[in-house]
Amino acid sequence: MRKIKRIATYTFLSVASIVSIFPFLWMLVSMTNKSVDVTQGRLLPGTYLLENLQALFDTVDMGTALLNSTIIAVITTFLTLLIGSLAGYGFEIYRTPGKDRIFNLLLLSMMIPFAAIMIPLYRLFGGLPFFGIDTLAAAILPTIITAFFIFFFRQNTKMFAKELVEAGRIDGLSELGIFFRIYLPTMKTSYAAAAIIAFMNSWNNYLWPLVILQSPEKQTIPLLISNLGAGYSPDYGLIMSAIVIATLPTAIVFFVMQKHFVAGMMGSVKG
Amino acid sequence: MNFAHWKKTGLLLLSVVTLLALAACSSDDASGSSDGGNGEEPDKITAWAWDPNFNIAALELAKDAYEEDLDLEIIENAQDDIVQKLNTGLSSGSMKGMPNIVLIEDQRAQSFLQSYPDAFYPIGDYFSTDDFAPYKLAPTSLDGKQYGLPFDTGVTGLFFRTDYLEEAGYSKEDLTDITWEKYIEIGKEVKAKTGKDMISLDPNDLGILRVMIQSAGSWYVEDDGKTVNLVDNEPLKKAFENYKAMIEADFVKANSDWSQFIAAFNSGDVATVPSGNWIAPSIEAEESQAGKWEVAPIPRLNLEGAVNASNQGGSSFYVLNIPGKEKAAEFLGATFGSNEAFYQDLVLDVGALGTYAPAADGEAYQAENDYFSGQPVIADFSEWTEEIPSVNYGLHTYAIEDILAAEMQNYLKGKDIEDVLADAQAQAESQLK
Amino acid sequence: MSKVMKETGLPYTASKKTLGRRLKNNYIGWLFILIAAAGISLFYFYPMLRALLLSFQSGMGANLEYVGLDNYVRLFSDPTFIAALTNTFIYLLIQVPVMIVLALFFSVLLNDATLKFKGFFRTAIFLPCVTSLVAYAVIFKYLFGVDGLINKFLMNLSLISEPLDWLSDPLLAKFTIIAAITWRWTGYNMIFYLSALQNVDRSMYEAAKIDGASSLQQFFYITVPMLKPIILFTSIISTIGTLQLFDEVMNITNGGPGNATLSISMYIYNLSFEYSPDFGYAATVSYVIVILVVLLSLLQFKVAGDDK
Repeated sequence: MRKIKRIATYTFLSVASIVSIFPFLWMLVSMTNKSVDVTQGRLLPGTYLLENLQALFDTVDMGTALLNSTIIAVITTFLTLLIGSLAGYGFEIYRTPGKDRIFNLLLLSMMIPFAAIMIPLYRLFGGLPFFGIDTLAAAILPTIITAFFIFFFRQNTKMFAKELVEAGRIDGLSELGIFFRIYLPTMKTSYAAAAIIAFMNSWNNYLWPLVILQSPEKQTIPLLISNLGAGYSPDYGLIMSAIVIATLPTAIVFFVMQKHFVAGMMGSVKG
Repeated sequence: MNFAHWKKTGLLLLSVVTLLALAACSSDDASGSSDGGNGEEPDKITAWAWDPNFNIAALELAKDAYEEDLDLEIIENAQDDIVQKLNTGLSSGSMKGMPNIVLIEDQRAQSFLQSYPDAFYPIGDYFSTDDFAPYKLAPTSLDGKQYGLPFDTGVTGLFFRTDYLEEAGYSKEDLTDITWEKYIEIGKEVKAKTGKDMISLDPNDLGILRVMIQSAGSWYVEDDGKTVNLVDNEPLKKAFENYKAMIEADFVKANSDWSQFIAAFNSGDVATVPSGNWIAPSIEAEESQAGKWEVAPIPRLNLEGAVNASNQGGSSFYVLNIPGKEKAAEFLGATFGSNEAFYQDLVLDVGALGTYAPAADGEAYQAENDYFSGQPVIADFSEWTEEIPSVNYGLHTYAIEDILAAEMQNYLKGKDIEDVLADAQAQAESQLK
Repeated sequence: MSKVMKETGLPYTASKKTLGRRLKNNYIGWLFILIAAAGISLFYFYPMLRALLLSFQSGMGANLEYVGLDNYVRLFSDPTFIAALTNTFIYLLIQVPVMIVLALFFSVLLNDATLKFKGFFRTAIFLPCVTSLVAYAVIFKYLFGVDGLINKFLMNLSLISEPLDWLSDPLLAKFTIIAAITWRWTGYNMIFYLSALQNVDRSMYEAAKIDGASSLQQFFYITVPMLKPIILFTSIISTIGTLQLFDEVMNITNGGPGNATLSISMYIYNLSFEYSPDFGYAATVSYVIVILVVLLSLLQFKVAGDDK
């Protein structure tokens, strides 16, 4: 019985993995094929890898876009986690009067489609002195403070043992000290999950950077890829090469972070 | 304990560094590239366009051909991206970050010109409109003022595989100056004799309808550009009937995507591609089919006054009403607006076919194209360009087409054509006030 | 965790706080949320207020004028809007539950300490949500094309006798969109569960095993109740995501055939950028989404009983 269950589990996970990974593999294969073959859905690797990469780095400024995307994503991830977890913790741990009402109000900000607030937001940045239109800072600022991560950290804090807070107070820690020295290390897996999501969101963010960034030297990866597919006769081999290069960082971030999801690790921290 | 302490300090340090970095990112715009609005003449002129092998290459060429000293920065953005950026920027009222020159598709032009009345700068004084194909002028002007400088023509042709057609017993003669009915008849024959489909269509894209109706001088709206014109629109009715006949003739290879569309002819699965001339480079990309393609004039609707010439796509340059506008307009006028020699290079180096009539006599236009069995493709296209009926695309092309797409589904399922068009008319009228 | 309680003897709820301390903590509590609250007010509430004002205006591009409630009235007689609303609800009702259950299932399987290749499986199942939209749209259209792999596969198994029109049949196209969203976002939801599962005390499962509870019982009596806050979180996030669905529809079917797969967000996009821009009416449609999400979230909070 147990063995059957095992086999069933592995079979199921393997099928799911294949289904999930297939488009990714196809991308890898496609970056070695020429455009005509890509459009016909060729599934076998070809010999055009070097030509595609050569063409890619000759025609577009991949380096600059990678650098911009990295700067934006790293800063965004760090600040998002910091601000979001502080607020989520604050909402759950302290019995500030009226906090639930404020919390619900903040949640409201997630509910409007971004396209609807984009124009007023653009106008807002048009009037700002240092964070104005066409600055990386403007691309970062509205994305680091989101109700999503406040909500995420609040829900995770619900599973955090609140006795630890009292214990920290008795040990004479400041409130911020409790947050940084007890809460933060305890919630490592939550931070790992949040870091993956925040990095991914920022790395793939399209609409806001599109409207707020104008000059080519500020271009991010999604904008660059969008441009590649723009012409009457796009080169799909080249596009696929760009996409693979663009996808790798998030995949790597995930692979590194997911180690924190190993069962049983928490026990040692908490005990 | 000590470690924990250091961790905390480290984190704080990291936050400070991050914030500083954030501030640094923001301060480097002090010398910003194109800040409009403050009335100062900028040193640099910026231009937005979308295809590096086509309109961007054309701008580069123009920059080289321009004799004055001009610092022109050409910025590449996908067409949809330009539409979004332009709409966001112009509607916010601040012209900050907007380019001096922008390329806009002809079918969207009226919508931009009328939505943002003071945003564009009239450039009619910088070139002679008489030199350009008349059908390009209606969509690029408003209230008697010329705003756009016509760039490329979307003149259509019927690209066809000579070998397949021959096998089915047809020559180029048989495809020249035909109606869509005749085209369908030939298509059935081709399918029967060769097993190849005649055409590849995307069921979600009705571009072929537009090609059909413009050949009869008709559009989704009347000449004022606003009044919805579907219900008693005879060309549109005919176009619907042709479309259905094609689907029912079972020679349509469905595609759902640009790449599949290209694959359909690159792989040799279809016998013809009725399309704008800009598809030629994509056909030529499949080198193994060299010498197997030729181009005939596009079929026409079987109606009085319909011609074997139509248009699909095509765009024009516009100058925004911000500092640097005179410089930008002078540049456009001296290159795309009047330079015959430049148009020869444009055809030779970029393969872009403009609508500047005096250029058509130039040598480059007469060149024979080996891929297309030695046919002087450019000369043929520019001859057809002259015949394209002029229509006012007006404001609502894409909105109406989405309504038509929904009704087309009903029509294909058997709904009566009169009802289909009447319902589409009613819906369009209620939606587009 | 229980060790701490014994040592301090002070469970959180029974702490002996002085009034001064409580006030101080209130004040500190505010500080914790200050940056977030200020930022959200500036970058979200202010633009939302502008959008609300916009929803009472109509006109093309910059030529806006106040029209009172006209836009809201117009919604009810706008067949395109009604089609988009219906489609979005179909996506919501089918897709969100399927995905949540699937994600929970994966996370429980992958949380098994004795499972081999965990890292690989986790990464593989997560990969769809980082795979670029462009690549994924191209390949989905290719897979689900009339002569695509899916049809070839089904025909080989003799499950169908002739190819299905996955992308141009109104019903099948909806199915394709649902499959695409589920494919893309299940791994994303899974990692929330995986990370939350680390906070569940392993000893609870061991105790349950000793009591002879089956894995299914463990799932329903331990895992689900323990993960409730996160299940609530993901179901609200997914509801919001589906109501704002745009990418898949735009890139795979472009709303077609006709408007059989059109979503509300895609309609907003069309009204703002694809058609002659009417930002006023687009804002009105946006507020319909806001109202729907608020109602559905309230419902979800209620069902989960998470108010306190």
